[in-house]
Amino acid sequence: MGRVNVATAPSHRAQLIGSLVAAVLIVAIAVTAVTLAIGPGLDATELRERQELQEERQEQREERREEREG
Amino acid sequence: MEDFVDGVTNGNVSQVKTVLASVVLALAAYQVALMAVAYGKLRVPFLKPKAATFTHRAVGDAAVAVGVFVAFLCYSYFGIGDGIEHARGEETGRATIHVVSGSLFVVAVVAKVVVVRWWRSLGRFLPALGLTMFSLFSVAWLTSAGNYLWGG
Repeated sequence: MGRVNVATAPSHRAQLIGSLVAAVLIVAIAVTAVTLAIGPGLDATELRERQELQEERQEQREERREEREG
Repeated sequence: MEDFVDGVTNGNVSQVKTVLASVVLALAAYQVALMAVAYGKLRVPFLKPKAATFTHRAVGDAAVAVGVFVAFLCYSYFGIGDGIEHARGEETGRATIHVVSGSLFVVAVVAKVVVVRWWRSLGRFLPALGLTMFSLFSVAWLTSAGNYLWGG
């Protein structure tokens, strides 16, 4: 009596879990790849410091202009 | 609203948008592959059409939620007219294409949801609608996130 080997697909549950895990992996890979491509961003402190510096420079420019005009 | 968006993204609005939009694009490509399996255009031994269809819906719900959040960030922070105005000069064309393709993508999403949920007699158009959505999102991504990543 020979046994016939038939290639069977995974169970429905296994297919669902596998395809959903694949989606999670795709998300992880996309986030990692794009984040690496972008590089480090600014944190809130850096942004505030940059904004303060710009405002300070703007004030200095205006003061100098007023002095020249006055 | 701009303060809220700034707070949510910690001041990195463009970067957060780029990451999230890229995630949606990657999931959209996966969605196309899943439906190719579901419609029998692509046969793989480890995934049957029924499971592919279920995963397509689950992943699609998640991708649309993320896509809507990206659209919210885009619209509330840059607006439509302001976005194009902000990208004056050589960038105006790119910004206009982005706004048009992004807006049409939202229309296509709504149309697809309407057909899937309520207007099933038009179900034969779902593959075309899905591919249209994928194409529109790809154009919207290329003219924003793609440009940000490679265009400088």
